Amino acid sequence: MSENGNARIDNVRIEEMLKQKKRMRIFLSLCASCGFCADSCFLYRNYKDPRYMPSYKAINSLGKLFKKKRKVTRLMLEEMSDLVYGKCVMCRRCYCPLGIDISGMISWARTICRTQGVYERYDIDPMGRIKKAAV
Amino acid sequence: MYDFIRGPMLWISFIVFMCGLVFQFYKIFSITGKKEAPSLIRKDANNKGLAKLKKYLNKALSSVALKGTILGTQPFVALLSFIFHVCIIATPLFLLAHNILLFESWRFRLFSLSESTTDIMTVVFLACAALFLIRRIFIPTVRAVSGIYDYLLLLVAAAPFITGFLAYHQLVDYETIIIIHIISGELMLIAVGLTKLGHMIFFFFVRLHIGSEYSFRGGSRSWQ
Ligand code: SF4
Ligand code: SF4
Repeated sequence: MSENGNARIDNVRIEEMLKQKKRMRIFLSLCASCGFCADSCFLYRNYKDPRYMPSYKAINSLGKLFKKKRKVTRLMLEEMSDLVYGKCVMCRRCYCPLGIDISGMISWARTICRTQGVYERYDIDPMGRIKKAAV
Repeated sequence: MYDFIRGPMLWISFIVFMCGLVFQFYKIFSITGKKEAPSLIRKDANNKGLAKLKKYLNKALSSVALKGTILGTQPFVALLSFIFHVCIIATPLFLLAHNILLFESWRFRLFSLSESTTDIMTVVFLACAALFLIRRIFIPTVRAVSGIYDYLLLLVAAAPFITGFLAYHQLVDYETIIIIHIISGELMLIAVGLTKLGHMIFFFFVRLHIGSEYSFRGGSRSWQ
């Protein structure tokens, strides 16, 4: 959910924020897509939906931002917010045998979304999100 | 052709491989800094050397701790992965034929395993690779994060073994297959430094040297 629906995306700021996290670019480039992290996320274990898998969430949020760089759109961030807020509780239990800090990446994707006014409005419609997340 | 791939091409791939490893190492090293001394020191932190290791192993190998790792969550695939990685490194290094070539060129050789052992290792490796492929195609979680790149890399890793097996058993035209074998081996070496296969360096660096909850404890560096 976003607060200022029509506001422009500050692509320069996003790019700067991405540059701050060089290690995350390395994480993303070396993730072996092995899927080992799936079972360490209790949300995945509950829903058994691959979209809850930690690396799926990181690749499709921060990974997408790294790929698109200056071409990020608001719609993209809105879609991402469903993953990073709706499908992760930031418990940092996810475990990658390579030592990749997956939740750190999801957290940074959240931070970037938040700087663009895209965040979870728990105060407005928390139940809507929960229903959506449960599909 | 044969002379080229055994001569300059081999050198090129070794050099790219070594440079790739150094580059990967540098890339990670340059964004880490010395770990700060903890402001709160736990009592058992005074343990040094063996006592520390023993304590760590006790803790890490306890059933509770193991439950959270892939050994606890997916023991079969973890074992598969372990065997896969041991074979991919040990088979080419300790293969008799490779060591004979090495000796012919440099009068230097490593310890060699018997040919039947490496033959079995090759088959085991290929079986693991096949199971990985099946897993990638059919397990929804793995499929969700797999792209063409991942399939390609699995092929790059398996190709030297497939061609090596065919060449050793002379199942197809030897002259051709040995050339393909050498090229695929060289490609794999080159790929280590430039692609996801670089996790070879990343794994050891991060899990041994970086002190965080994702390392095997007590590394000396931290992310900057
Ligand atoms: S984050 Fe780690 S465990 Fe998860 S898919 Fe990537 S390499 Fe595998
Ligand atoms: S931090 Fe998010 S992805 Fe990681 S285990 Fe917790 S809920 Fe799952």
